[in-house]
Amino acid sequence: MELTPDSTIVFVAWSIPVNATIFHTWIIMALLTGISILITRNLRPDKPPNRWRTMLEVIVQGIQGQIAEVARRPAPRLIYFVGTLFLFIVTSNLLMVVPGFHPPTASLSTTVGLTLSVLAAVPLFGIASRGLRGYLKSYLEPSAIMLPFNIISEFSRGVSLAIRLYGNIMSGAVIAAILLSVAPFFFPVVMDLLGLLTGLIQAYIFAILATVYISSATSDPSTPENAREIQ
Amino acid sequence: MSIDWITVAAQIVNFLVLVWLLKRFLYRPILDGIDAREAEIAERMSKAEYARQKAEAAETEFRDRLSAIRSDQSAMIDSVRLRAERERDALLKEARERLEREQEEYRRQREAEERKYIAELHRVGMDAILSLTRKALKDLADDTFEERVVSQVSNRFLSIAEDLREAAGESAEAVATTRDPLPRDACERLKADLQKLLPETTLRFRTDVAQSPGLVLRLGGVQVAWTVDSYIDGLEAQLEEELPPTRKGKARSNDR
Repeated sequence: MELTPDSTIVFVAWSIPVNATIFHTWIIMALLTGISILITRNLRPDKPPNRWRTMLEVIVQGIQGQIAEVARRPAPRLIYFVGTLFLFIVTSNLLMVVPGFHPPTASLSTTVGLTLSVLAAVPLFGIASRGLRGYLKSYLEPSAIMLPFNIISEFSRGVSLAIRLYGNIMSGAVIAAILLSVAPFFFPVVMDLLGLLTGLIQAYIFAILATVYISSATSDPSTPENAREIQ
Repeated sequence: MSIDWITVAAQIVNFLVLVWLLKRFLYRPILDGIDAREAEIAERMSKAEYARQKAEAAETEFRDRLSAIRSDQSAMIDSVRLRAERERDALLKEARERLEREQEEYRRQREAEERKYIAELHRVGMDAILSLTRKALKDLADDTFEERVVSQVSNRFLSIAEDLREAAGESAEAVATTRDPLPRDACERLKADLQKLLPETTLRFRTDVAQSPGLVLRLGGVQVAWTVDSYIDGLEAQLEEELPPTRKGKARSNDR
């Protein structure tokens, strides 16, 4: 039994093997982009919104609201990154129930890639918000002794993010496969339903944690509001 | 559990591409649409607010004008009342003047009627007196009215013979005027009586329908006459004594 779809080669293009993880990631990308284009192609201010557009608006505004609630301030640029994380992970996790679909989030390579993206986004957003000096200064807080602990904390965050998502999704898929061989009629359905809920929660947790990390890097503790939070 | 770093790199690239794609085809259109709708709603609300302020301003102006009209209403009523009183006074004055004119006209008509009545009374009285006199003279003295008139006039100018001669002066003609032609005998007698007094004076007879029955003899500046006018006047005086309360009362009531 394979625990990761990385080893499954779907096809070879120009002597480059394309594994199941990348292939199904492209499917998710095409699905999300295609739906977005279909719904927003006739979007004009003079036309009243239809139900699909309203659904997308609810999703986008919901993500925006969650980000603003976690960051405790409006963060308009964060939605592109965090929103895409959430939509990608949730779509990947929900498509787990489709027979023959290997969710990319069940691959440690995908979760590591997403985690590395978050780890790269944290300093980028932090430097963009506070400047290079201000961001690096945050590693010396509350004192210079805390520098190695802060660095370890950053890496441990990434590791926990990657392992948490990978472990949950991979374990769900593995448990479903095992139960399918033991009791093929009833338990897999229950486990798939549970997997849908788990996948939704994991996507939410991943996106929220990414928002927390990025917003903590972008927040300035010298401001009165953030100072109160620290106290 | 292994990590394929090529897949990791590919997934990072895939994720960044997905971020760009969703930003291009999902977030931007949706957020721009929401912003545009918010702006449109804000614009409509702004227009509605402007329209409301405009309506409030119009309402305030209307209320001001209404209060101004109400405040002017009493002045207008006073003005109209004053004008109506002036109009009423003018109409009353005009009616009074018209009434006075009509009363004056009525008074003139009444006076004309009175004059006509008096003239008629004169005529009828004269005819009656004349007729009665003629009949009485005929019955009592077998004489005529003209004979008695000529006799009366002759007696009068004979009684003032001296004065008549002086008055005649160089006048050579005397004129005897009657309403109707005198009978021949009466003419001859008058001529004879005048010849006795003034032999060189000729006598000419003429008639005047406007004259009262009787005889008027004019010589130079002297006039000797007898007519029934005095009798008619006497008759009128008697009638005036009998009729005045009624007629004068009527006249007074008409004057009012």
